[in-house]
Amino acid sequence: MKSVFIIYNQANTERVEYMLDMLEIRGFTMFEQVQGRGTNNGEPRRGTHTWPEMNSAIITVIPDDKLHELLEAVRKLDMRNPEVGVRAFVWNIEQTV
Amino acid sequence: MAIYKSAIEKPITTALIFVAVIVIGIFCYLQLPIDQFPEMDPPYITVMTTYPGASASEMETNVTKIMENALNSVDHLKHITSQSKDNISMVTLELEWGSNIDEAVNDVRSFVDMTRNNLPDNCGTPIIFKLSTSAMPICQYSITADETYAGLDKILNDEVVPQLNHIDGIGNISLSGAPDRYVYINLDQQKLDAYGLTLEQVGQVVSANNLNLSSGTVKMPQEQYQMQVRSEYIESSEIENLMVTMTPQGQQVFIRDIATVKDTIKDLSLDEKTNGREAVRLIIAKQTGANTVEVCREVRKELAQIQQQLPTDVKIEKIYDSSENIQNSINSLEESVLYALLFVVLVVLFFLGKWRATIIIGITIPIALIVAFIYLKVADSSINIISLCSLTIAIGMVVDDAIVVLENITRHVERGEDPHEAAIYATNEVWVSVIATTLVLVAVFVPLTMLTGMAGIMFHELGWIVTVVCCTSTLVAISLTPMLSSKLLKAKKVHVDADGNLIDDEKGKRSWYDRTVVRFLDIVDHYYARSLGWCLNHKVATFLILIAFFVASLIPVFMGKIGTDFMQQQDNGRLSVSVKLQRGTRIEETLKTARRLEARFVELVPEIELINTSAGSNDDASIAAMFSSTMNNKISMTVRLPKKWQRDRSIWEIAEVLRQEMARYPEIIEYQCNVAGGMGGGSGNTVDLEIYGYDFDRTSQLAEQSRQLISALPGARDVNISREDDRPDIKITVDKEKASRLGLSSATISTYLRNRVSGMACGYLKDDGSEYDIVVRLDEEDRNSISDITDLTIPTATGKTVKLSEVAQVGEYWAPPTIERKSRQRIVTVKVTPYETSLGELAQAIQAQVIPQLDIPVGYSTHIGGNYETQQDTFRDMILLAALIILLVFITMASQFESLLKPFIIMFTVPFALSGVVIALWLTGRSLDMIGALGLVLLVGIVVKNGIVLVDYINLMRERGYALNDAIQMSGESRIRPVLMTAFTTILGMIPMAVSSGEGAEMWQPLGIVVIGGLTVSTFLTLYVVPVLYGAMSKRGERDKQKKLREKFIFLNIKVKDNQ
Repeated sequence: MKSVFIIYNQANTERVEYMLDMLEIRGFTMFEQVQGRGTNNGEPRRGTHTWPEMNSAIITVIPDDKLHELLEAVRKLDMRNPEVGVRAFVWNIEQTV
Repeated sequence: MAIYKSAIEKPITTALIFVAVIVIGIFCYLQLPIDQFPEMDPPYITVMTTYPGASASEMETNVTKIMENALNSVDHLKHITSQSKDNISMVTLELEWGSNIDEAVNDVRSFVDMTRNNLPDNCGTPIIFKLSTSAMPICQYSITADETYAGLDKILNDEVVPQLNHIDGIGNISLSGAPDRYVYINLDQQKLDAYGLTLEQVGQVVSANNLNLSSGTVKMPQEQYQMQVRSEYIESSEIENLMVTMTPQGQQVFIRDIATVKDTIKDLSLDEKTNGREAVRLIIAKQTGANTVEVCREVRKELAQIQQQLPTDVKIEKIYDSSENIQNSINSLEESVLYALLFVVLVVLFFLGKWRATIIIGITIPIALIVAFIYLKVADSSINIISLCSLTIAIGMVVDDAIVVLENITRHVERGEDPHEAAIYATNEVWVSVIATTLVLVAVFVPLTMLTGMAGIMFHELGWIVTVVCCTSTLVAISLTPMLSSKLLKAKKVHVDADGNLIDDEKGKRSWYDRTVVRFLDIVDHYYARSLGWCLNHKVATFLILIAFFVASLIPVFMGKIGTDFMQQQDNGRLSVSVKLQRGTRIEETLKTARRLEARFVELVPEIELINTSAGSNDDASIAAMFSSTMNNKISMTVRLPKKWQRDRSIWEIAEVLRQEMARYPEIIEYQCNVAGGMGGGSGNTVDLEIYGYDFDRTSQLAEQSRQLISALPGARDVNISREDDRPDIKITVDKEKASRLGLSSATISTYLRNRVSGMACGYLKDDGSEYDIVVRLDEEDRNSISDITDLTIPTATGKTVKLSEVAQVGEYWAPPTIERKSRQRIVTVKVTPYETSLGELAQAIQAQVIPQLDIPVGYSTHIGGNYETQQDTFRDMILLAALIILLVFITMASQFESLLKPFIIMFTVPFALSGVVIALWLTGRSLDMIGALGLVLLVGIVVKNGIVLVDYINLMRERGYALNDAIQMSGESRIRPVLMTAFTTILGMIPMAVSSGEGAEMWQPLGIVVIGGLTVSTFLTLYVVPVLYGAMSKRGERDKQKKLREKFIFLNIKVKDNQ
């Protein structure tokens, strides 16, 4: 089991949800309106006058075999409009109850 | 949930809410009356007191002064003026415009009641009048006739007036110059004397034979009858055959033996002619609150119908119809509004280059405007010049909010976002700043609603309308605009080829728009950025150039090239001419002059369509006569010309031609030629030189002297002195001793004189339901000289007769003039109308050249009043208002930027707007008037808006970490388009107003000129002044900020030791 943390510009919300649906990933936890900034070129998303945009984030825990597919999809989404932005980070899941 | 999110999520609800708003707006629009100006009650209250037998100066001391002292403490009083003439005192209070008249009338009433006891015993009850708009005529028609002229009165009263009275909202209908049927019995003084008869005896005979009396009841066996003597005259010829007396010789004396009976029309005292034909003037007023345009339309329709029923020689012609002027003004303004709308949409299309975006903006503008009609309906106002001007002003502004939102949404969509999400998040990013810029506009326009005085009435509505429209447009911008964008904008298409590679659509596919407009705009951006770069590196030089430009642009002001006016005069194609001949001139003589003038006028000005002339006074006994002095020596004419686009000469040129003609007649002592128009056709555009002082001779002499000096000034026309000359009266001094010996008193003598000269009323001749006066009097030849008057025969108490000369002395006497007072001092006013110069310049010339030359004794003073004074008051109000607006705008901006310095940077652009205004006025040769001054005030708001856009963006760039100069240059380059776009929408929105030549356009043209001039110059300069000032002012401050930050987080400097 892997945990995937997807952070995306909130303008991508519908697409991310659609992506999860298509990949038949049912379970997720969503954090709406989170702030952040990218490591390299990523524009800050602070919800302020200076940086008005905001991100949202989703954590989803998926079986290992779906991981590749999901990351692929995230990558496609990023390629479609790089300015809007989406990133995904993966953790191992030690245990679940 | 935020409003924009709900709007996007519920498109149907949102759309329908706005449909509802549109429907209600259209409904209100259809119900709104059309008028020239917002409803305003002229704030005048007059208190009239009669005191029979008192002379003018007695009136002044015993009545007027007491009244004035009491009424001086009425609230909101602006001026108190009074007129005291024989028997009558009139005190007029002018209150501040916009004060509550009903309340003031109550106040006045209680003050009058308090002073009642201080007035002389014989004083009549003071009567309080309130001048109301419904008293002013809305249209006048002239009815001319040839053969049927004598019967015109009956036709009018029986057919025309009753039919017109059916019209909804019609007020008072009055006839002026209608011929009254009278039966005159003109007695021959000598024959009376020969038969030993008196006029009164004849009168009694005439009355006694004109009776209908019930003489009891006759009871018959079965029935019962009322008995009546019916001996009323059926025809006037019956009178001739009445017997008056028997001579001692037994000869019967009939009326025909001693008199001529004339069944005729009343003696000429008021003469009405239209184009030289006998005419009656039909004057129509409306009820308060009625719709002028509708009432006039109905009147026209009715009159057209009535015309068919009238005899063929009766012609109804329009003298003037105020609805025409209103309708034309409103039409041409409505046209301006539509053109403005079109221009604004075109500007948006040009800059955005997208059909869909333009449509979205195009939809939002009318919605914002329609709400203005709802406001007007709720506020019980009308569609008038002010409300439509406000809409034109607002059009340029309402698009700004929508553009900001739309631009941001488009940017998001172009990045590849879905329109639905882009609409939500893009709106979220800008909605706060959209509201903030609207607050700036509100800060400009809400103070307008607080303006007092006459300007207050006009600008109150403007302030509210623009505020309401701007707030609505903001609301629309954050609800409907995102909703429409989410539906109408198209997401950027993503194309994937067979191998799954993304295809870039952009390359090689450039539209026509991209190749032309975008390229052009890019070039503009580029040059601007380069020149801005130069300016940033040469700040001192830039400032010197700007200051030099500013000073140079003000040169026309210092050279006195910019005049000031109260309001531009309108060319409505109507002139009113008034002519005064020597006092005491007989009406018939006056008429001769009138006919000569008419003939010459038509010869000199072939354009004239109609001249209506009236001379004389209507009725010596009517209440109207109390308001005017005897007018046998006065002629007043209304000259109607074609519409201004149908003739070459302007109305002012024509007026000048007429003036020069009148100046050539030696018998004319005073003449005036006013261009009718402006506020309800009322007061002209005059400078009044008021001379205060007690002594008549002294002040009259000063007035005469100033009249001569003023007449010599260039541009001074129609110089008139308000004080009437002394009037020659015939004074009869009764010798009381002789009179009482004959059993006569002064009262009886005066009655007898009246009977002989004016005539003795002896009942009525009834014909067809109307009653006509029968008047017994002496033949005119027996009463038209002083010696005839001396020779009048008067009956004594013993039944004998006596000549007037035996009991009284008859002599000529000069009656003192009406005593006019203002601010409780005697006053004489010299009125001047400017021609080819402005009110302000003329007033200054009088101040500088005339007053110093007058030898004003101690205790006498002069003051310049009239429209000039109102103008000065208004300008003072405007300056205060501008100060208030600047302060409020400053507060709004300071809180928006959270900085005290940055608003200053923006405020620096305001003076440059002034430069633009001066240049524009100078180039167009216009003077600054109240409407122009309003434009100046508005400019403050519009101009700072541009500055805000720039400063806001520079701030943003700075916060995003760019170096100062880079940030400034980048912002300039990126913001030049929105700045130009908002400026162009406003400028182009105003162009139809500035160039319009429709009726009444003179009034609002200055507003267009001022805004266009000011905005053009200030927009251009804003693009340099603001960035350069920003650069000059913020360098040090920003560096300090870095230092402060380091000091704040000093903990990072702590050295971490290994052992800790």
